[in-house]
Amino acid sequence: MKGLFKSKPRTPADVVRQMRDLLIYVDLNWNSQEAKREEKMAELNKNIREMKSILYGNSEAEPLSEACAQLTQEFFKGNTLRLLIVCLPKLNLEARKDATQVVANLQRQQVHSRLIASDYLEANKDLLDLLVSGYENMDIALHYGAMLRECIRHQSIARYVLESENMRKFFNSIQLPNFDIASDASATFKELLTRHKSTVAEFLSKNYDWFFKEFNSKLLESPNYITRRQAVKLLGDTLLDRSNSAVMVRYVSSKDNLMILMNLLRETSKNIQIEAFHVFKLFVANQNKPQEIVSILVTNRNKLLRLLSDFKTDKEDEQFEADKAQVIKEIAAL
Amino acid sequence: MTEEGRKITYPLDSGSYRLLYEVGSGVSAVVYKATCLPLNSAVVAIKAIDLERSRANLDDVRREAKAMALLSHPNILQAHCSFTVNSHLWVVMPFMAAGSLHSIISSLFPDGLPEPSIAIVLKEILHALSYLHDQGHIHRDIKAGNILVDSDGTIKLADFGVSASIYESHPSSSSTSSSSSFFNDMAGTPYWMAPEVIHSHVGYGIKADIWSFGITALELAHGRPPLSHLPLSKSLMMRITSRLRLEDAHEQCAKENDKKKKKKKFSKAFKEMVASCLSQDPSKRPSADKLLRHPFFKNCKSPDYFVKNVLQAVPTVEERFKERRIAGGHPDEADSGGSASPPVKNRRVSGWNFNEDVFKLDPVYPEEIEDKCAIKCIQLSGDELSNGDQEGNEESKVEEEDLAKKAILKESLVPNLVSLLSSLELQRGMVMDVLAHCGCKDGQDEKVREQREQQLLGYVRSLQQTVDDLNLQLQREMKRNRELEEALDRLRRKSSEEQQRAISTS
Repeated sequence: MKGLFKSKPRTPADVVRQMRDLLIYVDLNWNSQEAKREEKMAELNKNIREMKSILYGNSEAEPLSEACAQLTQEFFKGNTLRLLIVCLPKLNLEARKDATQVVANLQRQQVHSRLIASDYLEANKDLLDLLVSGYENMDIALHYGAMLRECIRHQSIARYVLESENMRKFFNSIQLPNFDIASDASATFKELLTRHKSTVAEFLSKNYDWFFKEFNSKLLESPNYITRRQAVKLLGDTLLDRSNSAVMVRYVSSKDNLMILMNLLRETSKNIQIEAFHVFKLFVANQNKPQEIVSILVTNRNKLLRLLSDFKTDKEDEQFEADKAQVIKEIAAL
Repeated sequence: MTEEGRKITYPLDSGSYRLLYEVGSGVSAVVYKATCLPLNSAVVAIKAIDLERSRANLDDVRREAKAMALLSHPNILQAHCSFTVNSHLWVVMPFMAAGSLHSIISSLFPDGLPEPSIAIVLKEILHALSYLHDQGHIHRDIKAGNILVDSDGTIKLADFGVSASIYESHPSSSSTSSSSSFFNDMAGTPYWMAPEVIHSHVGYGIKADIWSFGITALELAHGRPPLSHLPLSKSLMMRITSRLRLEDAHEQCAKENDKKKKKKKFSKAFKEMVASCLSQDPSKRPSADKLLRHPFFKNCKSPDYFVKNVLQAVPTVEERFKERRIAGGHPDEADSGGSASPPVKNRRVSGWNFNEDVFKLDPVYPEEIEDKCAIKCIQLSGDELSNGDQEGNEESKVEEEDLAKKAILKESLVPNLVSLLSSLELQRGMVMDVLAHCGCKDGQDEKVREQREQQLLGYVRSLQQTVDDLNLQLQREMKRNRELEEALDRLRRKSSEEQQRAISTS
């Protein structure tokens, strides 16, 4: 008898549908009566949270794959992701965080062994432009940034962002004065340039000229310490990746690049010096050094040898010492 | 919601702030009291983190900044903003005038706080934990040193240097989908660590915070965490915590208190509450929400009570910090993941002064200096052989100065090592004492006793090993010191000869 009056439990699809309706309401009636809006907002927050606990589980239960699949399917069937992203600035902090976690999780959900999030994003690439532009708005930057990083787990989506105009925006976002946002942007930038090897290699060879011009002048020669430090580390990681060897050879054959790296070697910051060394050694190790590189190295031979002989890492690092010995040998033999 | 808080926008440049004075410092961070000029000189705390120091891993710093930016709860210390100033990161935070509970306890309540005040603090912290855990965050470093108090009795949990989110996928594990709810890296401060954190291969979740919360309760009650008189060795802790029961902790603390003065009495509700947090099995520990409903917090007094009974007697943060300095504390030696508050950091590893010595031996810094010294020594003797043309001469003079500095450093290092050694010996005695006590408890069958004896032997051996190692190290240090002195002597002689020659030629 008791069961008769209990409302039927909502299915995961119901939760998504209700959330979508509420989002539409909130989007259209933003200027409606305060009390009414508050009520709808509270309901919306509850729905988003419920989605989160279906996807992540809660203290009592682990997530069920069947429920996750249902939810994911319904979510991408409608235009829910777009609505959620567009309405995010209207949500309160807690709901924004929940929504971000929901979106992050959905990128990894498979339905019939397909990542349908990827298909959806491919058909709605403008959403990625919207997410990247989030770095211009302090209030939502960290939420959009976190969503964006999850979206570029899909190779095709990462390729889109790399090859779009958005890529140029990162050079500015990375240097925003607000540390939270700048470091989030640089985490995304790094992810774009390291995650999908073949795509990155293709991007770098196609866009070599403008990309490294920006990279050198805006990042490696930035007045901002942390920008330089992160950039030179990223440069090392990128060039040392085997899939980028063609780009590396091109980079280390340029006199201008060498000069920038040699300036970084002289920095007072130990961290920057060491990261710069890992790139500098590539110039020296190059077996087909152009004449202008050789002549710079020869001209500065004594100074370089002196610098290198005093050069030590804080912790003992055999690889570093071996590299250093090799570099010293090469320079001395020129 | 934060719209309220966001209305005030704090400027993102160092020129807008005036640093008043230092209120705390650690290896890689200094905390200042400061004012924000464009905002009518509003008082703030600024934590300046030195990003150049090796411990300041940029990813950790980013995670901390992000956690602080996205959490919003009255019992959690939030950052107003953060920005870089050359190679430092400035985190602008509310100024918590009364400092950390650790510093309050150590300056005024060395034997712990009275129970009603403990209840007030713990309740506020549970609110913070409940919020954090609900968000999927694990704080991973709950302890009195990370609980900050404002002059109006506001209590906030701080220091998200090691906190992690179970929703955030880690780059290293990003290939797998849902394995991100467990962490396998060591984080936190050993004495407060839950057994499953120490056995880090098992992985741990939010219940690790509940354990640390229980230890913090004991810390507030007794003035320091249980077992904090034992040396800090991971392996040692591992074995001890695997059989730490509340009775042990209680008895032991009670025993120590006996020595000093009368035995402290705590309510049954309090003991029960703490015992439930310290269950070996994480799943048996109650959640923060459940703890809030525990009878211990039923008749909890208001923060006013805390202000009247605790804060009124406490000197201000800056006074306390100055006192420490005068008393010869070396705040610079302190470890700092960085909390907003000061003296705390010194004692990150509890009120056992042995640890301060250990920090001086922190491998990163001193070793580097020594290495350099050794090299200089070699270069020096080379120089001498190759005799003095003008250039070599100048160089060696510069080096001489350098060397003198290093020698002074050595001189201060050796006594430290000696005191470390004796303190180790002292500790060994204490451990033996405790273990003997444990072993003699009645009502235990032979097997358990035998096992304990085995363990005891193990401890003694490992301690002996440490003492031996340190002895060796000391020998080496003394040898190096001698060498350095000799080198210095040679140089002095040489330079006086130079001078005489110079005089005679002129």
